[in-house]
Amino acid sequence: MSAAFESVGRRLPRIDSREKVEGRAQYIADLTRPGMLHAAMLQSPHAHARIRGYDISAALATPGVHAVVTGDDFAGANRMGAFIKDEHALAKGKVRYVGEPVAAVAAQTESIARAATQAIRVDYEELPALLSPDQALASPVHIHEEVGQYFKVFDAGSEGNLCSRTELSEGDAELGFRESDLVFEHHFDTQAQAHVALEPCGALAEVDPQGRITLWSANQSVFRVQACVAEALGLPHSRIRCLTPRIGGAFGNKMEPHVQPIVAALALKAKRPVKMILSREEDFETVRARHPFRIRIKTGVKRDGTFVAREVEVLLDCGAYADDSPGVLGYGLLCARGPYRFPHARCHGKLVYTNKLRFGAFRGFGNPQVSFAGESQIDDIAEALGIDPIELRLKNILRGDDRWFGGQQLFSNGVKECMERSRDASGWDAAAPAPAAPGRRRALGFALCGHISGLLATGAIVRLLEDGTVVLNVGANDIGQGSDTVLSQMCAEALKVPVENVAFVSPDTDGSPFNWGTTASRVTFMTGRAVVSAAAEVEKQVKLHASEIFECAIEDLELVSGGAVAVKGVPEKRISFFEISKRAHWFSGGPIVGSNSWVYDRPTIDPKRAVVIGLPFPKIGAYSFAAVVVDVEVDEVTGQAQVKRAWSACDVGRAINPMLVEGQIEGGFAQGLGYALFEEMVWDGARLANPTLMDYKIPTTLEVPYEMHSIIVESVDKDGPYGAKGVGEVCLSPVPAALGNALRRATGVRIRSLPLTPEKILRGMLERKQ
Amino acid sequence: MSRDLPVNLEINGAAVALEVPLTETLLATLRERLQLTGAKRGCNQGVCGACTVTLDGVAVRACLSLTLNCEGQKVATIEGVAADPLIEALQQAFVDGGALQCGFCTPGQLIAARALLSQNSDPSVEEVQQGLSGNLCRCTGYRKIIDAVLSAARSMRK
Amino acid sequence: MSVDQGVFRPASVDEAVSVLARLPDARLISGGATLVAMINARLIEPAALVSLAGVDELHGITENPDGGWRIGAMTRHRDVAAERRFTGTLALVQQAASLIANATVRNMGTIGGAIAHADPGLDYPPALVAADAQIEIASGKGRRRLPASEFFVDWYATALQSAELVTAVHLRAASDGVGLYHKLARVSGDYATVSVALTMSSGVAGIATRAAMGACGPTPILLEEANALLSGSPGESELNRAGELLAAAADPVDDVRGSAEYRRLLIPRMLARAFTEARAAIGART
Repeated sequence: MSAAFESVGRRLPRIDSREKVEGRAQYIADLTRPGMLHAAMLQSPHAHARIRGYDISAALATPGVHAVVTGDDFAGANRMGAFIKDEHALAKGKVRYVGEPVAAVAAQTESIARAATQAIRVDYEELPALLSPDQALASPVHIHEEVGQYFKVFDAGSEGNLCSRTELSEGDAELGFRESDLVFEHHFDTQAQAHVALEPCGALAEVDPQGRITLWSANQSVFRVQACVAEALGLPHSRIRCLTPRIGGAFGNKMEPHVQPIVAALALKAKRPVKMILSREEDFETVRARHPFRIRIKTGVKRDGTFVAREVEVLLDCGAYADDSPGVLGYGLLCARGPYRFPHARCHGKLVYTNKLRFGAFRGFGNPQVSFAGESQIDDIAEALGIDPIELRLKNILRGDDRWFGGQQLFSNGVKECMERSRDASGWDAAAPAPAAPGRRRALGFALCGHISGLLATGAIVRLLEDGTVVLNVGANDIGQGSDTVLSQMCAEALKVPVENVAFVSPDTDGSPFNWGTTASRVTFMTGRAVVSAAAEVEKQVKLHASEIFECAIEDLELVSGGAVAVKGVPEKRISFFEISKRAHWFSGGPIVGSNSWVYDRPTIDPKRAVVIGLPFPKIGAYSFAAVVVDVEVDEVTGQAQVKRAWSACDVGRAINPMLVEGQIEGGFAQGLGYALFEEMVWDGARLANPTLMDYKIPTTLEVPYEMHSIIVESVDKDGPYGAKGVGEVCLSPVPAALGNALRRATGVRIRSLPLTPEKILRGMLERKQ
Repeated sequence: MSRDLPVNLEINGAAVALEVPLTETLLATLRERLQLTGAKRGCNQGVCGACTVTLDGVAVRACLSLTLNCEGQKVATIEGVAADPLIEALQQAFVDGGALQCGFCTPGQLIAARALLSQNSDPSVEEVQQGLSGNLCRCTGYRKIIDAVLSAARSMRK
Repeated sequence: MSVDQGVFRPASVDEAVSVLARLPDARLISGGATLVAMINARLIEPAALVSLAGVDELHGITENPDGGWRIGAMTRHRDVAAERRFTGTLALVQQAASLIANATVRNMGTIGGAIAHADPGLDYPPALVAADAQIEIASGKGRRRLPASEFFVDWYATALQSAELVTAVHLRAASDGVGLYHKLARVSGDYATVSVALTMSSGVAGIATRAAMGACGPTPILLEEANALLSGSPGESELNRAGELLAAAADPVDDVRGSAEYRRLLIPRMLARAFTEARAAIGART
């Protein structure tokens, strides 16, 4: 099948490779504008305090300072938020976490700006700090006193410090547990993980004489930036133009706003271009992080291993602002049943405001946490039943066009193939597993999961230039994963032109079609489909021209390689895009433009099957799958685990560019490895104790196994462009559970809290000895 | 408070005379004074490696080097090594092998890999892992970076 | 002396010492790896810098006639890590250097800068204490030498007085034996969670062992009583007792690298592994 493709399926280098290896790629920190000022922020020293007032006179009087902004510069009604509008651009009225931006200064240099922030006096009245969901739920002190009045995009059920709650059920879980032979119930905890995109966040704003703002920033969606800045400043979208430089990694961190509204406000006030680039510490302290989850999971099974019922209850630390948290709660619950047949399932949970950094979107979006719990527990069930853990899963996985939790049908399903191929490649069933070194124990571990590819809106515009070459404009940022290349390949394929004849337009809210964002594993699937449909519009128009020229029926024409139209079966009767586009531009029909936009239209919930309360996203779906096997060795002296080898099989529908798909699988594995084994944001009271790369560690070349084998499974999704689905997140989510399961098999120790530190492993081993 | 002080350097082959504050880092000098933005500020603490440049041929952290302390030394950045056959081989191997994603760490990876290969033309996987362990990448999982360095080494030995 | 306003570039140790005596707020800069990180974090803002780059005697590793070694304070970690002449009991110094941070930072950091910073998580301090190294210090009054065990006095504190600087580290001649440095860290290049440095040589009275634990308190922990237990012909009970003594002497903290309790737990375990490995290596050799 793929032999029929010219561009799809090829291991093409990324189209932005050259500028990146030559050091010429421009990221936000690399941009300058004439007369540009540099900005810095003042951060809150308190976790929770009322702001009684500011004295900015000394800061303003500092030589070189041009503008100071505080919460007073943002109107009370101008709140942002993807699900619940609860956040101003700068703390207003109150500070709600240590490190929260309170004021900002624009000055001649960064060091003058930083020094001037320290001259700002803020009069605080301290309030009790609520540092855990339990503490916040029990407290009469409310982090957001007016939560009831906030605008919400769904029925969130907010009350007091409860930010949102969601409940999703199919069948009757209680009945299911009664019908089960064995019921397992465990508690799991997960930690906060920092994104650590190598590029810290930043933004640059410039205001033209008419007062219109141009804003460049490190971001995952120029349209989300536009919407949030508009909300924060109370301006119409048409007054803000958002652009993107190259993005130095994001992983969810740059989806919702960080400093863009602050920088825009400074630029308006200073009447000069203003740039703010966060330090690594500020990036850790003020942007966002992966949610800590507390999870109770209960699973009922038949003695033969048939899954009967599952209940999952989660409690999420939201941090001080809702951000994407209600979505993470809802999505985590949607994934908590796993890719399994359960006649009965009930997943429910709460999201609670605390006086911490806001938690938000992070690669996996709630799935890694619930998959850690669910996939760990399945291994324990297999052990209790004396069944091989992969066999137990194979008995219960979703088959064919089974439905995901909530009722959405699967249109492609590579679960079984992912499992079998990772199992076989790893030698899971081998009689003699790889031997451990002396003083070490070694075993394989397995885990599985599924993840969506489709939601919300996107668009594409494909234009033929005068010479018949192509411009592709989609409004989707490439955040490093390679979507510029993949979308160009799809466009080239659809029009049968060489990829190098497709120019890719950098996203621009003035000229690009809306795209909700580069997030949620959605760009290949969602935007790819818009590209293919827009290209089909172009195809229709070029064929119309050809039919007029050849005086034949459109149905008798086909696109042929190299960018031309030919009469079917008569290859010599062809006309190039060059000639057609000339004709269109100068004689007949007008320049050729194809466009398409769509919004994901398959409901999350089938009301005949499922009952839901507080669903943040009515239409998401299109599931990808991943199965991971890891080979882990544990040091008996220290408890430290080392990953020796790994196999990750991902069902991506179709790999548009297998090299880039491997890049996602390998990178997602490494980020999951760090999350599983040692990454953890630690708070000392209300203060983040490790907001530096000295103290917060991510994997280096020596922690990630060189033997990390990517296995691409292609199930060809009927909804996807050329059958493609997403891969960006599904490759990460099963990693912590696979590692935990390998540790269990190597040492007998089951650890139900992340990260799986040497300390926890050693303690477990010592307790077992006693 | 601090006055600017004179310093003379050779940057990418050109003599440069500057006046900079006492505590200005080489990274700030390169990026902000000279608009050589290939070296990146990822952490400013010497951990991430995105600012790696060479000083008298040795790979160092530009963020941990004070410009005034580099008096008389030769600085080479990604912009200045373009004509070097070893860097060309590495760049091509990174491009062909998909050894970069967001690209933010890439200039530092290339400078560190060049330093490694100039000392060891036939490194093992383990030696490449050791040589690049101070260059963090959050995107790739390193596999393709290591393979690209090995591939560049092979092409140079031919 | 060449005076470039705030940067001083002395050509000799005496000049360096006189600048330090005159300008108490000046900071020495050797490789910069530690100092500049602190400047960038706004922990310090020195008014003047004294660059030691031009002081020839601070550079390089030289062998003394008695077989001992002098490592100049400005010697980079890279050069110590590559020093193949540190054999036998001295191998641990080379091993410790090779585990500091990463290759690029080892190109910058110096032994003098590292030990003067005296972060308890560093690799050199326990290695130098176990190796019974001497630290050579210069001041206006001349030179003095201190055993490494007396040089490290507290968290980030050394025996250096104001207007003093480290000029060299002296290692006694290697004994025929084994030197080992083992480090547990969260990831490669991190500061140690716990480290153990150990030398072992064999003689007529059996083995002679010196062990120091790193990252388990303000300074490396070495106990003569523990060394005595680990010398001669120790059995399992002596090894256990030595581990208990070192654990009891430890004053570890809870931090992001591990809890105090975990560190205490690791001391006898990591000691036992290092001891057993050293003994096996000696056994294999004799």
